Amino acid sequence: MSYKLSKQDVCCLFEKLSEKYDIYAPKRVKNAGRFSETDIVQYDRISDLSEIVWDEKSTYPMKEVLSPIQQTLFYFTEDEYRASKGKTRPMLIFARPCDINAMKIQARIYAGNGGFVDMYYQRMHDLAKYILMPCNGGDDTCFCVSMGTNTTDLYSMAVKPVDDGMLVEVTDEDLAPYFEKAEAAEFAPEFVQENELKAVIPEIPDKEVLNALKKHPMWKQFNGRCISCGACTIACSTCTCFTTRDVIYGDNPEVGERRRVSASCQIDTFAKVAGGGDYRTTAGDRMRYKMLHKFHDYKARFGESHMCVGCGRCTGRCPEFISITVTLRKMYDAVEEIKKELGR
Amino acid sequence: MNRDINIKATRINCFRQSKVDGIFMLQMRVPGGMVDAKYLEMIQYMAKTWGDGNFHFGTRQTFDIPGIKYDDIPAVNAYIENYIKEVDAEMCDVDMNKIAGEPAEWDPSSGYPTIGARNITACIGNYHCICGNINTFELARKLEKIIFPSHYHIKINIAGCPNDCNKAHLCDFGIIGTYKFDYHPERCIGCGLCAKKCEHGATRVLSLDEGTAKILKDPCCCVGCGECARACPTSAWQRHPEPLYRVILGGRTGRQTPRLGKMFLNWASEDVIIAVLKNWQKFSAWVMDYKPEYLHGGHLIDRAGYKKFKEIMLDGVELNPECMVAEDIFWNETEYRSNFNVKPIEMHHHAGPQD
Amino acid sequence: MTNYMQPQPYEIISVKHETDIEYTFRIATDIKPEHGQFLQLSIPKIGECPISVSEQGDGWLEFTIRKVGKLTDVIFQKKAGDCLFLRGPYGKGWPMDQIKGKHLFVVAGGTGVSPVRSLLNYCVKNEDFVKSVSLICGFKSYDSVLFRNDLEKWNEKFNTWFCLDNEEHEGFNKGFVTAYVDQLPLAAVKEAGEDYAVVVVGPPPMMKFTGIELLKNGFEEEKIWMSFERKMSCAIGKCGHCRIDEVYVCLDGPCFPYTVAKDLVD
Repeated sequence: MSYKLSKQDVCCLFEKLSEKYDIYAPKRVKNAGRFSETDIVQYDRISDLSEIVWDEKSTYPMKEVLSPIQQTLFYFTEDEYRASKGKTRPMLIFARPCDINAMKIQARIYAGNGGFVDMYYQRMHDLAKYILMPCNGGDDTCFCVSMGTNTTDLYSMAVKPVDDGMLVEVTDEDLAPYFEKAEAAEFAPEFVQENELKAVIPEIPDKEVLNALKKHPMWKQFNGRCISCGACTIACSTCTCFTTRDVIYGDNPEVGERRRVSASCQIDTFAKVAGGGDYRTTAGDRMRYKMLHKFHDYKARFGESHMCVGCGRCTGRCPEFISITVTLRKMYDAVEEIKKELGR
Repeated sequence: MNRDINIKATRINCFRQSKVDGIFMLQMRVPGGMVDAKYLEMIQYMAKTWGDGNFHFGTRQTFDIPGIKYDDIPAVNAYIENYIKEVDAEMCDVDMNKIAGEPAEWDPSSGYPTIGARNITACIGNYHCICGNINTFELARKLEKIIFPSHYHIKINIAGCPNDCNKAHLCDFGIIGTYKFDYHPERCIGCGLCAKKCEHGATRVLSLDEGTAKILKDPCCCVGCGECARACPTSAWQRHPEPLYRVILGGRTGRQTPRLGKMFLNWASEDVIIAVLKNWQKFSAWVMDYKPEYLHGGHLIDRAGYKKFKEIMLDGVELNPECMVAEDIFWNETEYRSNFNVKPIEMHHHAGPQD
Repeated sequence: MTNYMQPQPYEIISVKHETDIEYTFRIATDIKPEHGQFLQLSIPKIGECPISVSEQGDGWLEFTIRKVGKLTDVIFQKKAGDCLFLRGPYGKGWPMDQIKGKHLFVVAGGTGVSPVRSLLNYCVKNEDFVKSVSLICGFKSYDSVLFRNDLEKWNEKFNTWFCLDNEEHEGFNKGFVTAYVDQLPLAAVKEAGEDYAVVVVGPPPMMKFTGIELLKNGFEEEKIWMSFERKMSCAIGKCGHCRIDEVYVCLDGPCFPYTVAKDLVD
């Protein structure tokens, strides 16, 4: 069912929803950008709808709500690890299709891979409902249409702010009671049909081509360009990697917590093993590892879709101006070259 | 060439004597070194019409037009009336009918009324630069009306960040844009890049705690440059909402005792900078017994001594809570002549009111 | 909801010093891993790391730990009666159904002996499990030789080639393990019309070159198995540290058939 709400109705609605739900949305953090007098937009709890940034892609992805950069897994004492309790209040999260589709991808890893369900992810996932925000096609780094992530039906509510209020579509029975007195209206969310930017995605037919691509000289150019800071993976909508670590409180070494903190395959410590071995020693190796995960390996394991949702945040956050779509184009050309050489 | 020219008057009018009799160079104020590029047409016209066709970037970021004949000075002054009105009176909100705060009617066609307070220079700042913490020329425009017009000399250089490309360390009152930062450990992934950058490009105040994989900071030595925020891949370092300023005092070049300036204020707010500078006229007047003469600002501080300077400059100023003030300053001068200051007592300078 | 990241406390039964830097901890537990599987070992305030089972018995497991890094340094101060935390077992172990009833060839280097030790001892105890065992076992130097008692036992029961990388010592050959691959009695096995399985464990370069050497000497790649070491944080396919292409070492390994392992380029 769809409804038209006046400005006042919208306020009342969100006040009522706030009684039960914690509401998360992209929010501006003034002066928190890389450079002075630049802002970032990141997901946070909001207490008022005016805090939502509607007209700009968030710098950091929605995943931070469900899988924050840092999360406490256990509190420990000398002889016990006690799991953290976590949130109990349900959440309503304002999100665009790229971010909602990214949750499907994260869930396949966190809640599916190997038959193990990650409790810490799942319990957040179970509390979340999504409010679809309108997207105007994003900025010049967006390529969701190329990745097929421009649409979604995984939302409880879709909204569109209009001059005198808000159009709302409600698809979740749990939310229906909030709209009993609302005025019905014609509204279905519109999805972006075309981005300014289009990505070409290489088809890697077999292991031979894959391993030839790994050895291709194209990756070497990143040794000089990529600084291995990991900003791309932190900004990524779908990256899930983390490292766990025990931290003690102050001067008492017997109590503390086990945390997990986002890890980046782009940072040189990621592939180090006990004793000092390192499986990917150059920036080019690490870039190759990331690109192949996003545009080959994930799909090879889970089928259905590639890992990348085309949100373009990695390109947006790269301090060295490495564009993922340009890199993808180079990868495409390299694959075509290899296929030709191998007579495919 | 037989000329009767009041050289002092032309100098105060910002026309500088040349080695050729009767030929002058105009120095036009460009507060913060930034103006609308439309004025370049004007500069070109002046250089071609009254000058020798050349243009020089003044070392203090003035528009310098050499080769102007003494007799053309009135015509040139009439021509720059609009420039002075638009740039100083309007853009910088300067009251042209005052000198050092005292009423003094300005004839708009008579050119610049004083040369004492030198053009405020600035690097490009965060208008463009990735390192810049502040909008340097906007600050210059706010300060212009405090120091100009005045016969009291002061050189102010504004640097957008502690890199100090604009040499705040080499002027009377050098202002450096800084920030304090909030660290958000919940966003920190322990990569240590900020610590590496701080070690490489700043003061090595950050270190990665191996036990917690979080960053430790020695806040006392932080210069507030922002390398950490620039490097951080996760936005774990975030600038405070407002910038703060460092003031480097008493730097100078010169024939006698060149020296680098030293820190006078650290973490001062913009309001504090403005309030302190408002006391500059008062300080200068006191040192010179209320009779402005041509004397560089740094020498005034020398004559009064730092503690007197501090007393007058901080008079009535409400310091922001973060602001730190130098209790004393020990400059390290290059003495071209050893024991430069040791001389017969009657040669010593005086400071303050003389009975 | 099951919390797969939850470690449980277990008591240390005994600590044996294998070398100056390698200790074997026997821990009281009912966990029954398959040969070649691994567990996650943790100590409060130090953290967690993957560890292979070097031997198992009724109500106990053994882990042989080398002193590298902060985590293992602290383990070395633990004594009998102290507590360690475990979760697991994880991953795929050695393919016992592929080994059973065949001739077993084992090439192991350094700490790589740990993940095959329980398999080898299983063969000692269950003489009918395999037709024969041929073992090439290499260490850097005599000081770094692990499981000396086991080596003696294996020397009695199996065809063995013990070697030290660059040191002469009684009872050991000098050289790398790869130098003895051509001495493995493959021809005899083939002549008898019997089947075999090969297990290789050790540092990555050692496994790579052993693989090449095995193929050169006529071993079939589908009969070779290797075990990978990666520093995973979760062991349940989430943390990403052990992923190579579409494979997760913690889920799909650590023991891989060579046909898969040879294409896993990090």
